[in-house]
Amino acid sequence: MKSFLKLFSLISLAFVLTACGNSSDSTDKDSSSKGEKTVIEYWHVNAETQGGKTVEELVKAFNEQSETTEVVAKYNPDMYKGLMQNLQAEAAAGKSPAVVQVGWSFLDYFSNNFSYISPQEVIDQHFKDDSTFIKDNFLENVMDLAKNSEGTQVGIPYSLSTPVLYINRSLLKEAGLNENGPQTWQEVQEFSKVIKEKTGKHGFYMQEPADNWATQALLESNGARMLTDGKATFASKDGIEAYQLLADMINKDKTALHLPWDQGVQSFIDGNVAMAYTTIARRSQIQQNVKFDVAAVKSPAWEGKEVRLPAGGAMLAITAQEEKQQKSAWEFMKYLYSVESMAKWTEGTGYVPPRKDVAEAENGLKAYLEENEMMKAAVEQMDGVVPWTSFPGDAGLQAEQLLLDTRDEILGGKVSVDEGLKSTEEEINQLLK
Amino acid sequence: MHAVKATNKRMSKEQWLAYGLLIPTLLIFALFMFWPFVYTIYLSFFDWNMVKPTKEFVGFQNYIDVLSDPNTYKVFGNTFLYIVLLLIINCSIPYVFAFILDLVLKRYKNFYKGAMFLPSVISLVVGSILFTWILNPVSGPVAIILDWFGVEMPIWSKMDGWVIVVLSLITSWKVFGYNFIVLYASINGISREIIEAAKLDRVPLWKIFFHIVLPMSGATGIYVLIITIVQGLQYVFTPIKVITQGGPNYASANAIYHAYHEAFVLYRTGHSAALSILTMAIFITLLILEFKFVERGVHYEN
Repeated sequence: MKSFLKLFSLISLAFVLTACGNSSDSTDKDSSSKGEKTVIEYWHVNAETQGGKTVEELVKAFNEQSETTEVVAKYNPDMYKGLMQNLQAEAAAGKSPAVVQVGWSFLDYFSNNFSYISPQEVIDQHFKDDSTFIKDNFLENVMDLAKNSEGTQVGIPYSLSTPVLYINRSLLKEAGLNENGPQTWQEVQEFSKVIKEKTGKHGFYMQEPADNWATQALLESNGARMLTDGKATFASKDGIEAYQLLADMINKDKTALHLPWDQGVQSFIDGNVAMAYTTIARRSQIQQNVKFDVAAVKSPAWEGKEVRLPAGGAMLAITAQEEKQQKSAWEFMKYLYSVESMAKWTEGTGYVPPRKDVAEAENGLKAYLEENEMMKAAVEQMDGVVPWTSFPGDAGLQAEQLLLDTRDEILGGKVSVDEGLKSTEEEINQLLK
Repeated sequence: MHAVKATNKRMSKEQWLAYGLLIPTLLIFALFMFWPFVYTIYLSFFDWNMVKPTKEFVGFQNYIDVLSDPNTYKVFGNTFLYIVLLLIINCSIPYVFAFILDLVLKRYKNFYKGAMFLPSVISLVVGSILFTWILNPVSGPVAIILDWFGVEMPIWSKMDGWVIVVLSLITSWKVFGYNFIVLYASINGISREIIEAAKLDRVPLWKIFFHIVLPMSGATGIYVLIITIVQGLQYVFTPIKVITQGGPNYASANAIYHAYHEAFVLYRTGHSAALSILTMAIFITLLILEFKFVERGVHYEN
């Protein structure tokens, strides 16, 4: 009896295994050429609710006007990680799509493990007319986002988001404060105190998701650096000073909130917190739900210092291997980076356009920005954008997690900023060795 | 000779039919239980990040890492705290409720039954999002009501201990109803004559509960006890994922969430697999202990 059962489970196991093997084989289709047009694949991560419709629209419009190229858009679930895994499988099968979206945190991984061609190289080889397209249309600091740690230009930034300060104008007015919001972090602290005194509401909330994006903006704008030459350096004098301000607002002044992301944004929407520092990607949620006069202003600076804002989002990279496909890939990318397409992309997703001239152009976002004042803050602060630091190597994510753990300790008042940051920096450097 | 052969043939035919009918279940089990389990054991000996094409064999290093990580012990501590809380909220209290509803209350029984069961049919993700709002310590309705009485709601989502209590409460919102109905059915099935006799003899209610109801519904009680522990821990995953992501500093992570966190947030699959296997070992030990010491004293009516 038992042996029969064993046999069956073995057979069923074998069946399952072969079934899995078959299914992955059968999904592969030949995608070389369709008639005279070159067929290329564009891999993206935008689900229906996250700009997927805009992707379809753009691809359809491109296919209608292009005489040489037919693009097939392919959605990859589970965001940039999912796309990376699928790309791995495809590469193992000796194939590759032509254009892919690569999230910033996978920039180094992508450039170390996959074969890609820098867009400028394709342009230099085949499109002499476009040789200055990238230089003319993109800010240098924005292009730097898509450079790997060796300084190679891997791709071109496509989806960008930056942190902005959302303010509850009605509440600021009630407290007798400047309705245009604070300009500096010191002012943020002052404003919060006044709000707490005058209205009894909380002054400030800084987003606390499972990453250190906003923390980086706070620290680096004060002159600290998360990483210098592959070593963590955030526990510098400037870094500690910056973190101290946030910790003081929470633990000493008791004017700022220490809450998970959703609850924090909720409290802002409810009108219980006057200012919230979070990503521009939350704009539509906030705009649609608030019942007061809301505005978004540029990220606060530190007095006398320049802001440094990490960018969230992704870039486009060319993974096509044959020359013909590479040519088509650039043709498609150039279309995506046109003013009109960029404007559509921003409207459909809420990302900030990475190239210049989109904001002011009549066929770009001019009308849209007049209606959506809140986007302006994010568009205007593009010159302060810097790469989002990812700790290098296999232990990078673990290092990121250590910094998150410290955030809870510091903001929960369990350790001092000085002690917390210094010991974490040491631990991280131990890991990165 | 002929007759014997015929029966043999029929037997094997019947057997084949039986196994044939078992195949779909076996397939599903193999696909969703045995294979992942075997694969997890396999992964626990490798260093891998889910994307790399090569897995590096590291022997028992993952187990050594997990066992020397102080967070592991914190997480297991949390796990047991969750178990204790869930046993109180989702096993003891529904037991008492079911008893009261069946034997003490006279009116509105159906209303209570429905009201208590209702939350079980609502998705826990929806519930968690709802409770994030209801229990928002700054602007949620509970905070506002507490404010009227001059009580300031603690920022539970960022405080050790509190966070586990609240997440257990949110989970119980989902699990309570089902456990309650199962226990109610069992208590309802106890012969009325015994209870009426006890009542005539003026046996106090607490004695009826402990000396009659508890032993006679013990079989169901054990079932509820075990699913509370096992399922409760899985259900807790949802509010942890939605509300705290294991924070602050792992104070709300349980073993199952932590395994998820290691694998799908940090991409340390080896670590995660080792942790899962250790968790599994602990639970198997618990189950063996349960069968040895608790099950023996349980009375099965049928």
